[in-house]
Amino acid sequence: MPSALAPPTPSLTTYLRSLDEAPLDKSITTLISLLKRRQIRSSRSCALATTKLLIRVVEAGEDGSDGKWSSTQALIAHIRTVGRKLISAQPKEIVIGNIVRRVLGVIREVADRDSETVADLSGSEISGPTSPITITGERSVLPMRLSEFSPRDVLSGRPGTADSVASSTFSSPAAAPQQRPNLMTAPTGTSLFSILQHPQTQTRSTSSPYATPPAGTQSPALRPSPTFKSTISTIPEGGESLDIKAEVLDGLAELLDELSVVDTQIAESALEHIHSGEVILTHGSSRTVQRFLLTAAGKKRRFTVFVAELYPNDHLAVHDTLVNGSLPPVSPEDEGLGEKGRWKALTAAGVTVVLVPDTAVFALMPRVNKVLLSPHAVMASGSLLAAAGTETICLAAKEHRVPVVVLAGVYKLSPVYPFDEEGMVEYGDPSKVVGFAEDGRFIDGVDVVNPISDFVGAEGVGLYVTNLGGCAPGYLYRVVGDHYRNEDIELGRD
Amino acid sequence: MAPSVGGDPAAPTDTAASQSAPDGSSKAAIDGAQTSKTSAIASSGKQENGVANGETKASGAEAKKRAKAEKAAKREREKAERAGAGGTAAGPQASEQGGQSSGALKPTQNQQKGQKDRQGEAKAQAQAQTSSKDAKASHKRTGSVSAANAQRPLALRRRPSQSGGQAKESKQIVKEVGLFGHLYNQPRRYTIEGASKAVHPAVLALGLQMSSYTICGSSARCVAMLLAFKKAIEAYSTPKETSLPRHMSSHYLSPQIDFLKTCRPISVSMGNAIRWLKDQIIHIDPDTDDGEAKAELCAGIDQFIRERITVAGSAIAASASTKIKPGDVILTYAKSALVEQTLLRAHEAGTDFRVIVLDSRPLFEGKNLARALARAGLRVQYMLLSAAPHAAKEATTVLLGAHAMMSNGRLCSRVGTAVVAMLAHARAIPVIVCCESVKFTDRVALDSIVQNEIAPSEELLLPSAAAGVADGGSLAKWKETPGLQLLNIMYDVTPAEYIDMVVTEFGFLPPSSVPVVHRISTERDVRT
Repeated sequence: MPSALAPPTPSLTTYLRSLDEAPLDKSITTLISLLKRRQIRSSRSCALATTKLLIRVVEAGEDGSDGKWSSTQALIAHIRTVGRKLISAQPKEIVIGNIVRRVLGVIREVADRDSETVADLSGSEISGPTSPITITGERSVLPMRLSEFSPRDVLSGRPGTADSVASSTFSSPAAAPQQRPNLMTAPTGTSLFSILQHPQTQTRSTSSPYATPPAGTQSPALRPSPTFKSTISTIPEGGESLDIKAEVLDGLAELLDELSVVDTQIAESALEHIHSGEVILTHGSSRTVQRFLLTAAGKKRRFTVFVAELYPNDHLAVHDTLVNGSLPPVSPEDEGLGEKGRWKALTAAGVTVVLVPDTAVFALMPRVNKVLLSPHAVMASGSLLAAAGTETICLAAKEHRVPVVVLAGVYKLSPVYPFDEEGMVEYGDPSKVVGFAEDGRFIDGVDVVNPISDFVGAEGVGLYVTNLGGCAPGYLYRVVGDHYRNEDIELGRD
Repeated sequence: MAPSVGGDPAAPTDTAASQSAPDGSSKAAIDGAQTSKTSAIASSGKQENGVANGETKASGAEAKKRAKAEKAAKREREKAERAGAGGTAAGPQASEQGGQSSGALKPTQNQQKGQKDRQGEAKAQAQAQTSSKDAKASHKRTGSVSAANAQRPLALRRRPSQSGGQAKESKQIVKEVGLFGHLYNQPRRYTIEGASKAVHPAVLALGLQMSSYTICGSSARCVAMLLAFKKAIEAYSTPKETSLPRHMSSHYLSPQIDFLKTCRPISVSMGNAIRWLKDQIIHIDPDTDDGEAKAELCAGIDQFIRERITVAGSAIAASASTKIKPGDVILTYAKSALVEQTLLRAHEAGTDFRVIVLDSRPLFEGKNLARALARAGLRVQYMLLSAAPHAAKEATTVLLGAHAMMSNGRLCSRVGTAVVAMLAHARAIPVIVCCESVKFTDRVALDSIVQNEIAPSEELLLPSAAAGVADGGSLAKWKETPGLQLLNIMYDVTPAEYIDMVVTEFGFLPPSSVPVVHRISTERDVRT
């Protein structure tokens, strides 16, 4: 498709195509520049690109020549390095960090699984909790007080106990003084992985009163670490590294699968939320919302949808989606079918669709039964980062007691607590608001601002529908705990 | 068979069939006929009158039509089979004869739906009878359309004059948003064609200026209307049998008002002004000379404008500008003449503050305000309404203009004002509305849906340049997309709880005092 004369516009499609041929370093820098220049825009595209790149990283092996990894520690360190680079390329794109942490979680799970089998072979020796890699490289002091215990750890099914306070301290820099040594450290965990990482400081193991992992509270995504640990000296490293790579790649393939079916899974609960004759308010051209509504329309539910057009950043995509149908996402297998692969337009499915400017949201809200939104990212606190105009919609819905339903795949869910709300908002091109060519003198005298995203607090949302089902904003921390490891939340700095 | 099919150029369907027949490809013949048939059905919302020109459509989206036709054919075939129309199903034979005969059949049925000329019809009918046997024998085609057509007798189901028209009509009606269905009878006029002769040229011009938003804004329209009426009054002469007070209002003024109403629904301020003017007219002494009476009326109009709008405006600006303190960040929405006056006044008084102007499409009135303020030397930020939460984070005061104040304390203003007021209220930012008493009304409003103004949906289409596409972007095809509607309301109603203060020429009021002041101001006028 690209002619020999002009290179194609860089985008997700071209990047995925080039990923197979290009050397790994080049791929990494290409993705970094795509992210910096915002040539890859939506959450799903960024997630897809990051996942595929990290798969390549794992495949390439430690020396970059498709070899094996000497240890999971090395693999994790490498992923963290690459992940840090990607995140700093576009810090406002939360999904990149989510994917990096998911990948790390997969690796740790594989490592745990392997060490479990090894532990059975080589006997057991109880060792206390040790901390994994910290930024400063120092072992953290274990918090010993009851007040430091966080229910999060119990319920997250991880035997991490000492990471209770640390996990809350990394997210709250203003921690209590007694935990100051923990401030810059990642939370401790009693996973085998920690032993793999720091065999020499094994002697510092002290038992924590909370070392016993809770019984029965298992997370579906990650298994709890084994209670019996073995010293690293008994683990044959050479034999296990090949397995690690294959198993990690398996796990990552599952992650890739999840990204491709997330819309379908979310849409499975469409019939639970939409009744006949309903009036729904939504905004933007999100494919998740389109799939959700199409599923309900396909089951012969007749409803009306008001679509706020999100001028000036997304309105062209909204118009295109409403008139011509949604473009299918670039999926891992086929890199987009283009025009032919378009989904049915909502109107073709029998839904009455009314396009409204963003100004009419408050005027229409008394007659709206439900608000359906799709965010860029969701924070563990239940707040979300979405397109500009979302806060208006959520506040108007709250004023009129209209339930707000947010459709978000788990890949959009971030374990990071949003302290700097203002800093998460992304600003865009002011010429979309007033163009230079249109009115240069105006721009000269007036400061034109164009925010692209909005930060909406958790109180604005009534329900989250993820690909694992629906949940209230207050329950999100549990889903976060299922999918991310505490040790990965703080990825450190370059 | 081939020559007879091809020998009828008048019927487009035949032509389509004949074009393909020489190829010897029966499938093409069927396709051509299918397209003409499906286009005759005219149910897909493509622009068609009942006389569907098969060939114009066939040349266009043939592939799509083929698929549609196949589906339709399958349906009919199932129906026919269910009706037990004889299982004369010969196997699928791609014989040319069969193709051509079925091609001939289709023109038959299409024409019987009442479109093509008689000659072709008769010929085709003759062919149909002779070839029906062949058709039945070889009705199976890959598209399977021939089967259904061969077995089915004449087309009883559809007649395009009926189905096409009805289908189109129902599609067209669907372009109105159900919630606002009661508001779509408000006319808009863009030409003076058909205007009554009695309408004064000044009023004609004004009507066109209003419908094209050249004159936009409650106060501006009111003043412009009164000035145009002044000219009309000056041109008036009382007929002999009657007197000015009795005649002018109903026979002279009313056509002008009606014309203005057809150009664009009048604003509340205009309504109040008209009521006042009619009242003035009635109270003129019938004995006064025409010239004197007209001069009196014109002077009255001048005084009305001066008192209720100009002086009131500057009084409001003076009082409201006292609410602006140094270091303030004033947030405003769209363009209100009063707010502009207030801000300029405060700036002249030397207060140091900055302004954030929010704006929205399709009118982009805020741009004019931002430009005027920047020219005066103020520090201005300009954002669209989607950025309102960001603006509200920094704002210290919100100043809003009004289209009308309702008697239950609600503010009726440009659509989007309620959003700004809501965001300000959520952050405990004071919301101040600047509104002359001429905009107060007896009416009450609970929502923005029962009373509103619907502007034509075409105004929401992007101008080609802005869309970046020559044809105006995807939305230009909105009319052909059934089930897609565009909503372009002009006003919304802000609840009284969001408003902290209303500044009128009588002073600062809470929104609940609006009906009281309205009564006072109307009584005062009546008394004089």
